Amino acid sequence: MGGTIWLFLFAVIMAAALLFCMVFFIIMFSDLESDYINPIDLCNKLNQFVLPENIAHGFLTILFLISAQWIAFLLNAPLLLFNANRIRNKNHMYDATEIFRTLPAHKKESFIKLAFYLLSFFYYLYRMIVALIADNE
Amino acid sequence: MASPAEQLPPGWASEWEPTNQRLLFIETATGHTQWEHPAETAGALQQPALESPPVASAPGIHHSKRRQYAAGQTQAYYGGADETSMMQQPMSQPPPQAGMEPQLFTPGLAATSAPNQFAMQQGQAQPQYFDPSQGQQQPDYLNGQQPSYGQPNPNALADQFGQMGLGGPKPFSLQTANLLTSPPDPRELSLPPPEIRLPPNATVTPSQFANADPSYQRCTLNAFPNSSSLLSKSKVPLALIIAPYRTVSENEPPVPLVTDTVIARCRRCRTYINPFVQFIDGGNRWRCCMCNLSNEVPQMFDWDQTRNQPGDRWSRAELSHGTVEYVAPTEYMVRPPQPAVYVFLIDVSHAAVQSGMVATATRTILENLDRIPDEDERTKIAIICFDVSLYFFSLSPGQTDPTMLVVSDVDDVFLPKPTDLLLNLAEARTGGGLESLLTRINDMFKENSIIGSAMGPALQAGYKLMVPIGGKIIALSASLPSLGVGALKNREDPKILGTAKESGLLQAASTFYKTFAIECSRAQVTVDMFLFSSAYQDVASMSCLPHYTSGQTYYYPAFNAARAEDALKFAHEFGEVLAMPIMLEAIMRVRASRGLRMSSFHGNFFVRSTDLLAMPTVSTNQGYAIEIQIEETMNVPFVVLQTAILHTTCYGERRIRVVTTAYPVTSNLSEVFASADQVALAVLLANKAVERSLSHKLEDARDAVFNKLVEILQTYKSSMTAAGAGASAQLAVGENLKMLPVLILGLLKNVGIRQSAQIPPDIRAYSQALLTSLPAQLLIPYIYPSFYSLHNMPPEAGTVGPEGVIMPPPLPLTSERLERHGLFLIEDGQNIFLWVGRDAVPQLVMDVFNLPSYDVLRGGKTTLPTLDNPFSQRVNAIIQKTREMRRGVYYPHLYIVKEDGEPPLRLWALSALVQDRADVLPSYQQFISSLKEKVNGNGGY
Repeated sequence: MGGTIWLFLFAVIMAAALLFCMVFFIIMFSDLESDYINPIDLCNKLNQFVLPENIAHGFLTILFLISAQWIAFLLNAPLLLFNANRIRNKNHMYDATEIFRTLPAHKKESFIKLAFYLLSFFYYLYRMIVALIADNE
Repeated sequence: MASPAEQLPPGWASEWEPTNQRLLFIETATGHTQWEHPAETAGALQQPALESPPVASAPGIHHSKRRQYAAGQTQAYYGGADETSMMQQPMSQPPPQAGMEPQLFTPGLAATSAPNQFAMQQGQAQPQYFDPSQGQQQPDYLNGQQPSYGQPNPNALADQFGQMGLGGPKPFSLQTANLLTSPPDPRELSLPPPEIRLPPNATVTPSQFANADPSYQRCTLNAFPNSSSLLSKSKVPLALIIAPYRTVSENEPPVPLVTDTVIARCRRCRTYINPFVQFIDGGNRWRCCMCNLSNEVPQMFDWDQTRNQPGDRWSRAELSHGTVEYVAPTEYMVRPPQPAVYVFLIDVSHAAVQSGMVATATRTILENLDRIPDEDERTKIAIICFDVSLYFFSLSPGQTDPTMLVVSDVDDVFLPKPTDLLLNLAEARTGGGLESLLTRINDMFKENSIIGSAMGPALQAGYKLMVPIGGKIIALSASLPSLGVGALKNREDPKILGTAKESGLLQAASTFYKTFAIECSRAQVTVDMFLFSSAYQDVASMSCLPHYTSGQTYYYPAFNAARAEDALKFAHEFGEVLAMPIMLEAIMRVRASRGLRMSSFHGNFFVRSTDLLAMPTVSTNQGYAIEIQIEETMNVPFVVLQTAILHTTCYGERRIRVVTTAYPVTSNLSEVFASADQVALAVLLANKAVERSLSHKLEDARDAVFNKLVEILQTYKSSMTAAGAGASAQLAVGENLKMLPVLILGLLKNVGIRQSAQIPPDIRAYSQALLTSLPAQLLIPYIYPSFYSLHNMPPEAGTVGPEGVIMPPPLPLTSERLERHGLFLIEDGQNIFLWVGRDAVPQLVMDVFNLPSYDVLRGGKTTLPTLDNPFSQRVNAIIQKTREMRRGVYYPHLYIVKEDGEPPLRLWALSALVQDRADVLPSYQQFISSLKEKVNGNGGY
């Protein structure tokens, strides 16, 4: 059962990275609100991270799928679909001209994602520990 | 200034106090000193109230009256007001005895017990709020004058202030009208908005200009709810409608200019000093009206710099005018004022040359070279032509023949020459080089058969040319961009018109138009678009650029210069755009009293931070709508909203325009309703509808507007009428909101929003661009056109009266008013329709059109001949006045519409009659009854 340990170890690290990514997003949004950054720079900066974040999350989800971790996969599937739909409609990037109008929605989304990654972080940790114990026995 | 010492009473001496920059008066016997002139205070000393706090004063006795007035105000604010304000009453006021009486009454009592007396006191200048015979249809502001802008008699206002000081603020008299029985009357749209009734002594000077004119800044509610719960209870949206740079006609007062660069601002909230601040501490400090911080009055505030002597504080324009302009010192400049730069991008592809656009445009530029603002000879100009390549024109100083440089690599645009492409306008004209270039462009490309347009690369080239300076790109294009960046595809698909997918056609197809707009905004570049194509041109994408760079889109569908009317319209509008005073590098910010926050912004600009709007150049006559949120409960008597725009004029001067308005705060729902401004509401809802139609569906936008109206009516019914939440046979609304339903109906039937599967997306996109950028004065006729009957107009209509040409009375927009033998005029600010009935008598046709009978008359675009008969001259005068009375550059086309003429034109003209049923769109009666059903149906919310 060594594979499961490594898978969840990897998942924990990824979840932590995504978590930090979301914290960064939220900090940037509040910077925008308090006028420390202008919307053009903000969008240029954040847009660099949007696709990597989505890809990282998608990769993790696919990994769960091929290693037949059904619960973990099902947990992540809705977010994957959400992201995929956004990319398909070409509105995944932040638009500097609309950012102030959509800022509350963006913030809300980032907070929800933050909570999700936090929960999944602990879930993966739990699963990793469970796998470790199972391995020891 | 006459020496005050000469007029001193015996026993007094005066001394100049250099530290305070004013005269000190000393009573020699006692050693008592005071700032006031003893002769003036002698009388007042008997009044105990006047004695205490030192008076905020300017030196000199000439203004002592004003000075005391201000002092009275300061005290009135702290409570001991009555005696002093009594004293200030002009002689026309009733004797003290009678004057004391209203102090005791409660407003409700007064209405029953002493209406006559009150009316008598108020005289003509006072609206008769207390007239018991008020139940009739007329709103109260029809009866009397208002203390609004342009009121001839300032004493009337002072009277009113005095009255208010005695009687306390009177409640708004909310009058309910029944929409079912009172048809809309278009005359009500030209009435001023509900009066802003500020508490007494809110202003430091008794000026009637203290609140900015509503045409500069108006609010959907002229009395602010004190808490967000009251606001949400009323369901009326709260927003500011501003048009800070509207053009000022000759018979209007100009915006006063403060030239001495003494700019008093609050240290904390950066509010500019305005008529609503208070002077405290003997006039050495002022208390900010927004954040209550006490600030020092600048040293030079009371110093007249032109004459180098103590000046009169109360004559400063910023203390008496709601709209002022300051000359800003160097601290307000990021870089030295830049010259105005105009870059013309002219499409010279086959379609453009064939339509005559190139010839008309170059001729118009040539003719208007003198009108382009260039007072200090710094203005720069460049001309770039484009089809599938870019053609630059270089002209070195002294050269008379321009050289053309062709760049055919449109994938990676570069400037062929580092200098001499951007020409100094005055220098380029000295050798006649620019003139010869402009006269030759059309001949150069006359035989051009290239089809295609490298619009995107041309924009980039223009941008590169001017990026260090900023300025304005004027792009004229007659075809869909097909090459290089920003190339667009023809996405017009008749099948998806009228479906949910239609709003996709109204959004930008390529991200280039948004990202490039942001680049432009950063480099202080504005783009104006002139579009001419007869085929699909994707106005929706192209108008993005003007939208975010505070430019404007102009659209001339199927332009053909061979038609004199087309050429005339374009030449006139283009010429006006060129002659427009250009304001550069502008930023706009709206500040408001504590508890208020600007939450969202509508209009042509780029939102650069939460409350900062960036406008590379400011166009005159653009309107903006800003929604306001109430964040905390407000316990102040009034709130102040201040719009400030920092910009550089085309004469190289940095200036700040400040527009200030104050609104009373109320905790009373009926006052909120009674103070709602229907015109401002309609403007706001138009802006919101367009925004919603882009992010959602057109249908959602229409529903949102309709539901908003239903909500307002429901709340009105349940809280303001006896019917409460139950069903009611009438549909009640405040007298001041009576026109709102018909305005909303007009909006729902406007081309930009209307439910239809036949409107080409270009026309819709252009209409939406207009809906979001026109100021209220132009937007209201655009959604609710003016309609006049000409054949039976009153004899004085069309003749010149004291205020210019007298217009006939406007009619409600319904075809019931059309008569078969009549001549009618319908006008929406963009087009004028002259409707001729089929039984028009030959004499009428002869008089107006110089044709023998109705049968030979042809419909369509036309210019009306001026004939040698009074009727023709009057009709022409009315059309002329119609074209002039609206601000803005637009020169409406005149269409002759025959009653049995070609159906498309006839239907178009009839679609302007918004109270009629058309297709699936309801008539006013149907609209009102569906409103009533909705209001009654969901009454018990």
